[in-house]
Amino acid sequence: MWQLILHRMVATIPVLFLVSAGVFMLIHLTPGDPIDAMMAESVDAGVKETLRRDLGLDRPLALQYAHWMGRILQGDLGQSIRNREPVIENVGRRIRPSLQLAALAMAISLVVAFPIGILSAARRNSPLDGAGSLFSLFGICMPNFLLALLLIFFFGVTLRWLPISGYTDPFEEPLAGLRSLALPAITLGLALAAVIMRTLRSSMLEALAEDYVRTARAKGVSEWRVIGGHVLRNALIPVVTVMGLQLGTLIGGAVITEYVFALPGVGRLVVDAVFARDYPLVQGVVLLIAVGYIVSNLIVDLLYGWIDPRIRIR
Amino acid sequence: MPSNRARSSSRAVSRRAFLRLSALAAGGLAPLTAPGARRAWGQAAPKKGGTLRVGFYVEAATMDPHLSGSKVDRQVYHNIYEPLVTLDNKLGLRPGLAESWQQPDAKTIVFKLRQGVKFHDGTDFNAEAAKFNFNRMKTEPKSVRKGELANVESVDVVDAYTIRLHLRRPDAALLATLTDRAGMMVSPKVIQEKGAELERNARGAGTGPFQFVEWVKDAHLILRRNDAYWNKSGGPYLEQIRYRPIPDDTVKLQSLQTGEIDVMDYVQPRDVAAVKADRNVVVVDVPSLADFAYQLNHTRPPFNVKALRQALAYAVDLEQIVKGVWLNVGVPANGPIPPTSWAYDSSIPFIKRDLAKAKAKLAEGGKPGGFSFTVTTNNIPINIQEAEVIQAQLAEAGIAMKVKLVDSATLLSDGNSKNYEMISYQWSGRPDPDGNTYQFYKTSSGVSLNWSGISNPQIDAILDKTRETPRQADRKKLFSELVRLLQDELPMLFIVHPIEPKAFSPRVQGYDPVPDGMMRFREVWLK
Repeated sequence: MWQLILHRMVATIPVLFLVSAGVFMLIHLTPGDPIDAMMAESVDAGVKETLRRDLGLDRPLALQYAHWMGRILQGDLGQSIRNREPVIENVGRRIRPSLQLAALAMAISLVVAFPIGILSAARRNSPLDGAGSLFSLFGICMPNFLLALLLIFFFGVTLRWLPISGYTDPFEEPLAGLRSLALPAITLGLALAAVIMRTLRSSMLEALAEDYVRTARAKGVSEWRVIGGHVLRNALIPVVTVMGLQLGTLIGGAVITEYVFALPGVGRLVVDAVFARDYPLVQGVVLLIAVGYIVSNLIVDLLYGWIDPRIRIR
Repeated sequence: MPSNRARSSSRAVSRRAFLRLSALAAGGLAPLTAPGARRAWGQAAPKKGGTLRVGFYVEAATMDPHLSGSKVDRQVYHNIYEPLVTLDNKLGLRPGLAESWQQPDAKTIVFKLRQGVKFHDGTDFNAEAAKFNFNRMKTEPKSVRKGELANVESVDVVDAYTIRLHLRRPDAALLATLTDRAGMMVSPKVIQEKGAELERNARGAGTGPFQFVEWVKDAHLILRRNDAYWNKSGGPYLEQIRYRPIPDDTVKLQSLQTGEIDVMDYVQPRDVAAVKADRNVVVVDVPSLADFAYQLNHTRPPFNVKALRQALAYAVDLEQIVKGVWLNVGVPANGPIPPTSWAYDSSIPFIKRDLAKAKAKLAEGGKPGGFSFTVTTNNIPINIQEAEVIQAQLAEAGIAMKVKLVDSATLLSDGNSKNYEMISYQWSGRPDPDGNTYQFYKTSSGVSLNWSGISNPQIDAILDKTRETPRQADRKKLFSELVRLLQDELPMLFIVHPIEPKAFSPRVQGYDPVPDGMMRFREVWLK
């Protein structure tokens, strides 16, 4: 396993290098200027020039990139232009709500997707399966922002059960925290549940057609033990793959959900940084999100080995 | 809070009603908008305590008024810091931290400072502190106030509570400039001890009715009542003010409707009618100082030709735009000076649509068959709608307008580099008409807010004269002359002076709307 991790770490280096060059080029080629964006109503060209020089924005792009890479190699992601705080501090503040939201959404999706997925596969073509398909179609088709607004309308405005915006840390105030995360987590969790449920159902149907299932049934093993002990475990690989990919998206890409519910997460941070042309912040956050993706994929690979010893690296 | 007024007012504010409101606000007969009058209605006496929860569209950028470049910062500052001069709700100048002022000659202002004022850190506010602030604004490398104080040559301490400002040239607009960030006094001790940390932590820094407690970025910013506030008559009443950013307009409004916040800074025109019908929300129409327009690039075709600019102006129907796009939450603009200003000249009509004249001007400009150009505008719903309406109106005159949608950072850099033909420009406005005119129309080289590149000796001369003329009545005449010239030269296509409605929970009492749009909570209390 350690070998796998080491192998992966080495393979990560060129990926991160490409990501860094890509994001640097893209954000610098986008029209707009961080100083103009920061001082929209200032007429003082002198102040702007001083700032631009201080931040090194007047130097050639290649030099700026080299300077940035040099600092990254020393573990320094730089400073936000807008709030003049280290990128790592900005991300540190935003990663907590994002991780909590991702974990909660994932939990909700598993609680919803597994029973429906298993039942749909086990009772294929029954009305239950039909209802499951309908649910997953709804979950996949429903845009996040629409679902978010509907949830706000029902649970926030009409029933007044849950707060509709803002964030409280569940580790500081558990009840208020969970309440503040409930609606955004349901918004993300339902869409994710739909994807996981469909994947689980189809991979279980495939496994159900395997010879070992027939053998197990022939031995007289009860249907639920067949499903629980044999089918489910073999059907999990694609599900774990989907979950791994979605986890990365949940942490860095829940922009719309974070925006609608006024949650201070990483997704909103990066979008706000793009609008402000806060170059170091955009670059730093994107790089960290890339690292996040790589780590979550690594975890998925390690899980494969645990679920299915046949693909364990010796 | 004039709740019954807000509820009973018509769903949209008519042009006439807005002008009347503005006139009242400017003329001082305003039982509708003045809070003093509200108390005279025999409402309950103000009571102390409670937390006011305020929803803003975006988070503040910095707590240091000398380094601040964004509007939302000012909303917070006006409760922590105090300027030398303040505005009343008719935009009149009132004593702030300066008790009085005199101008012995056109290039000297002497401020008598208020005694017995302490910063929140316990240090005294006095002439030395004021001088320190002016020097910092003028010399600190990152200071954003340099342009506003460019005419201030030096500051002398006359005695412990008197300072004298020496000006490079006469500047009739300077006092109004000192009603905002450029006049706000920060504790010198806090600046020296905290340094750059002041940007995140303004504890002890101001003299205002509320003091900074904490700012958890992206979550909330909390102010607490300053019990040692120097002015013992009236507020502050609130125990705390808690600001938080809610970026989505719909969600912000729903947060107000469900009682999660008590105040929201701005209601979109599309929501105004619905909100006014909601008994749980009180809307206050605050006529603004803003000036929404399109800059026309005088340095390149097609708008380097005056007749074509005029053809454009005659082809556009402002009444239709204000009615259809702004839903009457604003009035058609006759120029850059809003109806809230003492310098507004209601005898100058806005440019009315006249297709025959537009066609004649096209012919005069050498394009009898029309021409085509591109407008650069913000990719937000109301701007897109406005562009589409203008596009349709121009098409009837044979002018083809293409729409280029950009985000605000691109808009700013396109404007600063004059890389456009016609570009949206939304100016939040300044209390003195100078702030809505000089920097936009004065001949300038290099980067400036004069995006149109207009350079007209007659306009330049009037602009300079408005600064040198001390009497308001004389200045008003000059500004009227300027507006007429601008309507002829058209550096901008003036569209609308918007109203900035703010919404409150019915619990909130005593809010006094000042047309600069800043929410000062000193007199506010919770029922």
